[in-house]
Amino acid sequence: MATETTPRTAAGPDGGQDGLLHRTWIRVAAVFAVLIAGYGLLRGQMPFPDSLDVGLGALFDDVYAWIVENRNTSPLFLYGFNYASVGLGSAVILINQGLTLLTPLGVIVLGTFAAWRVAGAKVAAFTLATFAVFGLLGLWDQAMTTLSLIITSVLLALLIGIPLGIVAGRRPGFERALRPVLDFMQIMPAFAYLMPMLLLFGIGNPAAAVATTVYAIPPAVRITALAIRGVDKGALEAAESLGSTRRQILAKVQLPLAKRTIMLGVNQTIMLAVSMVVIASVIGAGGLGDAIYQALNKVDVGRAFEAGLAIVLMAIALDRITAAAGDEARGPHVPPALRRPLLIGGLLATAAAVVVGRLAGLADWPREVRISISDWVNAANTAVQDVFGGFTAWLAEATLNLLLDPLRSVLTDSPWWLVVLAAAALGLALGGWRIALVGGVSILACGLLGAWEESMDTLSQVVVAALATVVVGFAIGVLASRSDRLAAVLRPILDAMQTLPPFVYLIPAVALFGIGRIPALAAAVVYALPPVIRLVNDGIRGVSANTVEAAESLGSTRRQMLLKVQLPLARHSLLLAVNQGIMMVLAMVVIGALVGAGALGYGVVFGMAQNQLGLGMTSGLAIVCLGLFLDRLTQSAAR
Amino acid sequence: MSSPANDPQLNSEPEPKFSVRSLWKIFGKNADGIIGGEYERQDRDTVREATGCTVAVRDVSFDVLPGEIFVVMGLSGSGKSTLIRCLTRLIEPTAGSVVLDGTDIRECSPQELRELRRHKAAMVFQHFGLLPNRKIIDNVAYGLEVRGQGRAERHARAREMIEMVGLAGYEDSKPGQLSGGMQQRVGLARALAVDPEVLLFDEPFSALDPLIRRDMQQEVLRLQRELRKTAVFITHDLSEALKLGDRIAIMRDGELVQVGTAEELVGRPADDYVRDFVADVARTDVLTVRWLMRDPREGEPLDGPTAEPRTVVREIVPLLAEGTAPVRVMDGDRLLGVVGRTEVLRIIAEDQSDDGKLGTGPQPLADGAEA
Repeated sequence: MATETTPRTAAGPDGGQDGLLHRTWIRVAAVFAVLIAGYGLLRGQMPFPDSLDVGLGALFDDVYAWIVENRNTSPLFLYGFNYASVGLGSAVILINQGLTLLTPLGVIVLGTFAAWRVAGAKVAAFTLATFAVFGLLGLWDQAMTTLSLIITSVLLALLIGIPLGIVAGRRPGFERALRPVLDFMQIMPAFAYLMPMLLLFGIGNPAAAVATTVYAIPPAVRITALAIRGVDKGALEAAESLGSTRRQILAKVQLPLAKRTIMLGVNQTIMLAVSMVVIASVIGAGGLGDAIYQALNKVDVGRAFEAGLAIVLMAIALDRITAAAGDEARGPHVPPALRRPLLIGGLLATAAAVVVGRLAGLADWPREVRISISDWVNAANTAVQDVFGGFTAWLAEATLNLLLDPLRSVLTDSPWWLVVLAAAALGLALGGWRIALVGGVSILACGLLGAWEESMDTLSQVVVAALATVVVGFAIGVLASRSDRLAAVLRPILDAMQTLPPFVYLIPAVALFGIGRIPALAAAVVYALPPVIRLVNDGIRGVSANTVEAAESLGSTRRQMLLKVQLPLARHSLLLAVNQGIMMVLAMVVIGALVGAGALGYGVVFGMAQNQLGLGMTSGLAIVCLGLFLDRLTQSAAR
Repeated sequence: MSSPANDPQLNSEPEPKFSVRSLWKIFGKNADGIIGGEYERQDRDTVREATGCTVAVRDVSFDVLPGEIFVVMGLSGSGKSTLIRCLTRLIEPTAGSVVLDGTDIRECSPQELRELRRHKAAMVFQHFGLLPNRKIIDNVAYGLEVRGQGRAERHARAREMIEMVGLAGYEDSKPGQLSGGMQQRVGLARALAVDPEVLLFDEPFSALDPLIRRDMQQEVLRLQRELRKTAVFITHDLSEALKLGDRIAIMRDGELVQVGTAEELVGRPADDYVRDFVADVARTDVLTVRWLMRDPREGEPLDGPTAEPRTVVREIVPLLAEGTAPVRVMDGDRLLGVVGRTEVLRIIAEDQSDDGKLGTGPQPLADGAEA
């Protein structure tokens, strides 16, 4: 898409484009200058006045009190949420029991067979290894719990998402109405809506399942709609010209032709579910996420690493299997006549494995067959700390003292109205009056919610981490765009990184930096890097070969080519990279509260842990406001 | 070429299969307001600038007779593809009427319209519109499937059609495995499978390369001879139009400029646009002796060779080269008129001059002779 839009910008004379850009950046710089001047003059004298707190927190506390009192009497709960909660809980338990009934041996045979049938021998071997790791690390039960949660949430998300997507694909009006809702769901950091789930469904698996479902629905809807709309218009018209009803067109033309793309959506849905299911451990989802959460709480890097490894392998296996599911060619070649016998054979083998497992007393993974690697990991970690500890400590110290603390101080100690005005002015400079309004109001809202200082703290973390992400990501992206070799090496790494649940990024960060704001920032930077690198690389490589050739024929050096041709023409992709990077940084910085980053994320975690709904909700809403502010600002810059 | 026997002007009118009257299609908001309003007669660009609407089809009327191939020919953007889609309401017309066998299609309920598409009119598309996930046989059987025929029955019929278009043996292939020409044969078989009364062709051969195109044109003529379907055929290729069309409508900017036989278009173009269009056509290949003949002059020898009225000019050139007597145009035993060297030479001269503007073109000398 970048390649399509960039030629138009390129068509304009160089001067106009440059001049405008310059003026924009001058205006942005002026905004910061005024903010810092205001900070210098009125430092600490005008904090956000308590009188402006609209008392939403207190209101939510009342709501919480009411709910606790009425949970077992109000019809809304008796016949609504409680039913849903019990139903979902039973679904998770049912699937979990199913998996238990199969015994580890049965699960392994069934899973490996399915992986082979869908995605071929390599993926089957990987799946087998994954199961082995679950068992050997003593995490079999946790893994099965996580798997049950994923299955429940994904089924639910697909059950809701695919029909919605089909309707959206067939009715443009419906899609237009749905789009802002989906946009909102996607920019909202996962952490922000854990609290309401907890409130409605109570702590435990049902709340986790709903939160995961909500998080995983958008790609199911979007990609299904895209797939339906992408069906060849000629085939549709031909079917219509032969007198097909709308229903026949759906069943015989649109769905079969959209199947492959819809499977992509299923893959995305599963991947989002995997990441959310781990985060949902803070509202009581059991399983691997909980194991990581507990280990991180104790700063037991080794144990966290084990559970992290298990979830990473599960994520990669699920990704590879479902990515191949839409594509017949990826699996082994099976003649049509043998398909049914093969399926039956696979099921019989599973049944046999179950029987053997039961008879051999292997209803659970045997205790003796275990390897703990947590001690080794901890030892390795200590060794790494010994070597790099000085460096990481220095880096952390420097970042804190030179960047993070000064910035936080500017944001929290400046007069509050100046910060709000600066937000609006930034919006004006980058996107015009509407963005100015959105920017000013969303920052103001952080204060009105009573979360001013925490919001500014979070904002300072986001800004620093985003800066680091953009600098590192752009550098690597540019290098990758100029070296096919580097790009080829990076691709599988980026692929793997993008399938990892955000939670596991915290583990190495804690290993290197201990706890506090710095590990959260480090995790955020690493988490946000892959899409940034990818967009920069793709953007530069997407610049028309003709243009590059023309510039080359005029005698540009490689440096001139990059600065005067490739980067300007890839502008759209680069700004999109900034937007994506910032949104991912925000999501991660908030989760960083689990390793002591404090600020808004801490409000959510503490609110949930201590049943302080007001604190949790207002912090969650403030996260949403920050997300809105950052997204709109960077998106309008990309336009 | 049209024979006098089913020439609409000459016989008592046969009931037309398709009757299109004052058909309009305007894309855009408030399209309805344009017809009858101040912009009705303005040209397309003016209308677009003033109202944002695009006039694709403007006040088009024509009849299609049973069993004829009616070709609509025009350049891209002339509205011809929109026109053919309006005939079965794949695109909803803005105004006017389309009557098929006495039923006004625009009055049909969705249910009736579907029945009509399932049984009466089938379409062949430029880009084939096959379903890539289905085997050839299931593509061909699609129309039968949606109208609820059983599997065995529809497969039998589809097999028959596949054989008819020369694709026997490819029943279980997928469309992606076939060449463009073969895919269009599938498209043709699919349309024929529902045994429609009318076939609608939307530039069916434009996407094919020239040799295959010629084969496919032969195929259509052959099927037409065998099955006697009524056909509306859209093309932007004049030679295709001349080859296939019993009658040809020339379309420009959404309007019909001229409707007539190939001979009428070439021999008597309605305006400079049509004249330019047919300038490169070899008149000797299109015009017939009936078109050129005149009454014999006083004292002219009437012992020359004879020709039937439908003979094209090219074929009598050798006859005239052999002797000086004019060729006699005979309908059985009756002398209709004669064609001499002068008339033929004039046509040859016109073919050789670039713009065909020698004089005002040949006059049909005996046009009304039989009326």
